[in-house]
Amino acid sequence: MIPLSWYLYLSAALFAIGLYGVLARKNAIAILLGIELMLNAANINLVAFWRYTDPAQMAGQVFAIIVFAVAAAEVAVGLSLVISIYRARKTVIADELDLMKW
Amino acid sequence: MDASQIIFFLSAALILVSALFVVTARNLVHAALWLIATLFGVAVLYVLLEAGFLAVVQVVVYIGAIAILFIFAVMLTRRDLLSQSSQTNANWPVALGVSALSLAAIAFIARGFGFSLDRPLAPVPTDSLERLGQALVSPQQFVLPFEVASVLLVAALVGAVYVAMNKK
Amino acid sequence: MTITDFSVILPVTLLTAWASILLLAELFLPRAQRPFLALLAALGLALTLGISLAQSAQEFAPGFGGMVVRDGFSNFLNVLFLLTGLFGVALSYRYNQRAQIERGEYYPLLLFSVAGMMLMGQAADLIVVFLALELLSFPLYILSAFAYPRPQSEEAGLKYFLLGAFASGFVVYGIALTFGASGSTDLARIVASVAAGSANLPLLTAGAGLLLVGFGFKVAAVPFHMWTPDVYQGAPTSVTAFMAAGAKTAGFAALLRVFGAAFPALAADLSPLMAILAAVTMLFGNLIAVAQTDMKRMLAYSSIAQAGYLLMAFAPFEIEAARTMAVAGALFYLLAYTLASFGSWGVVIALEKDLDRHLSIGDFAGLARRSPWLAAAMTVFMLSLTGLPPTLGLVGKIYLFRAVIEGGMVWLAVIGALTSVVSAFYYLRIVVNMFMREGEPAVEREWWLEFAIGAAAVVTVVVSLWPFPLFEWAEWAVMKLF
Repeated sequence: MIPLSWYLYLSAALFAIGLYGVLARKNAIAILLGIELMLNAANINLVAFWRYTDPAQMAGQVFAIIVFAVAAAEVAVGLSLVISIYRARKTVIADELDLMKW
Repeated sequence: MDASQIIFFLSAALILVSALFVVTARNLVHAALWLIATLFGVAVLYVLLEAGFLAVVQVVVYIGAIAILFIFAVMLTRRDLLSQSSQTNANWPVALGVSALSLAAIAFIARGFGFSLDRPLAPVPTDSLERLGQALVSPQQFVLPFEVASVLLVAALVGAVYVAMNKK
Repeated sequence: MTITDFSVILPVTLLTAWASILLLAELFLPRAQRPFLALLAALGLALTLGISLAQSAQEFAPGFGGMVVRDGFSNFLNVLFLLTGLFGVALSYRYNQRAQIERGEYYPLLLFSVAGMMLMGQAADLIVVFLALELLSFPLYILSAFAYPRPQSEEAGLKYFLLGAFASGFVVYGIALTFGASGSTDLARIVASVAAGSANLPLLTAGAGLLLVGFGFKVAAVPFHMWTPDVYQGAPTSVTAFMAAGAKTAGFAALLRVFGAAFPALAADLSPLMAILAAVTMLFGNLIAVAQTDMKRMLAYSSIAQAGYLLMAFAPFEIEAARTMAVAGALFYLLAYTLASFGSWGVVIALEKDLDRHLSIGDFAGLARRSPWLAAAMTVFMLSLTGLPPTLGLVGKIYLFRAVIEGGMVWLAVIGALTSVVSAFYYLRIVVNMFMREGEPAVEREWWLEFAIGAAAVVTVVVSLWPFPLFEWAEWAVMKLF
């Protein structure tokens, strides 16, 4: 029997790791990887809350699925921007994209 | 400690360790591969939470599509991989502080959330997959978010194609 | 599914369908007929505006099992968002030809974004709030990066995207915690669970805090503002104008709906936080704006400062009596801000003869001689943003300040008034440049642009002289909210 709070701790830790990745990384793709970790942390929470409150109501799972869809769209848009910039500038290091200061 | 707790700890360890590598690995191909490990650990948690369908979607969509897309993007921008400079920016100590602080804050709040201990869990209905499908298309439930998500995918697709298109 | 369900989302549906048709229409239009797309997009927005206005007399109606609602609040915002869309099209029409970015995807993306904003105003469930946020943001990321092959534009798109995706991570996590705390994502049920005492309040507060961070990025409140100057400067100016007004209004729509309707139980915890956020945003935005010489960056910091004034509306949430007035004041101020912001960005477009050169404040010298009407309109917008008569900005500020004072936060109103004085320095510097200095600014003459600027200026002045019907509309709009 796993207490709900374990899931919440785990998800908080995953969220914090993702947050660190977003704030500390230079490469745009690496930043996006951090954002994926944050979204997964939220999804762990959603599914855990669904299971531990009222599993007959599907709202938690539905929202998790919506997050999947949005994450997929986000990655498609983000990586297309990254590749387009790389084609023009040969770099995706956020620090070096310094036409305007970051 | 019962079996489910052991599985939980193993997958939690997998998730956290590989997530740490995702945000620290110098080589971005490795970071993307570590992301797959994290995502897989999360899928195991979904199984543990009796959300089998989500576990499958996690593997198929997240690992099968999103993580692979990341690997493609890393490969396509591989010049950056050759640079031996540090992959973190100058703010990383601040970042560490902010994330440690938010971890502490959320964990502190989650601490009081032990209500599952004193009462047995409600069983997951056997037809939960059917219910999920119904919920997604029922007008009284989630058909609107479902449709809006599809509009969102169209907009994202049009945008991604426009941006990535070779305009020369 | 009932007729009410459809009628509630009719404007959004129509606009989405129109955007999809527009995508296809481009295939059948020869290249020379491309300008026609702008007209079609405007027609779609105007049609939707007509339907929204026709619906505005109707009663409160929930749709799709409480996912969305139609009420006075959403009607007011729908009209505002559709006007934003129309202004956006008017400002883009010639600019895009000049910048050679007249591509078929532009207007459908703009329409998708407006549809997302409208959905945001109508959302009554956090799932819909999240989806609406993404639907309005994704097209904006793309539009910011639209001006190929100018690298600043693509960089602006990437920056905006990374910050936006980061913010949506906070929003999702906040919604997850809120869901856990109350057992629902439906705003009405969240309120009910708080009232019944079954909600976990610390967790709900944490969720609300994370939502606040996420939306703080969207409305560019300090300390979540750092993307704003770069993105506003790098994106095509027509897109900047659209996003400065639309994205900010939509962010505030979500904040007002979520914090006004669902979290009043947390008001005691959140309203000091909101007041501090508002004060910091006003101080920081205005003080940094003074130091700017680049016109776009100055307007960007100005828009940060304006977010501070709008955030004041959340400060008196604890006081029941002040709450209605505060939200009505925020709606009123959003309208004033939309007009003044579009107007001033429009003038920037008119002066941007050379797209690769950064427009500085000095470039406004001599505009009064070269083009007196444009200078007069710009003066109106600057006065409105400062909050001086005879403009809507003044009326809106009085309204907001009064609500804050009635909410017992005199210190916040004092900061608001003092920072307004600071802002007069940089806004009026442009007026001084236009009228007192000699110069030969290059002005682009373009009918639609001039029409939009003129309309914004006339409305800003005329409505401020007789603002009572608009007051009544705004107050009626928020009546059902609580």
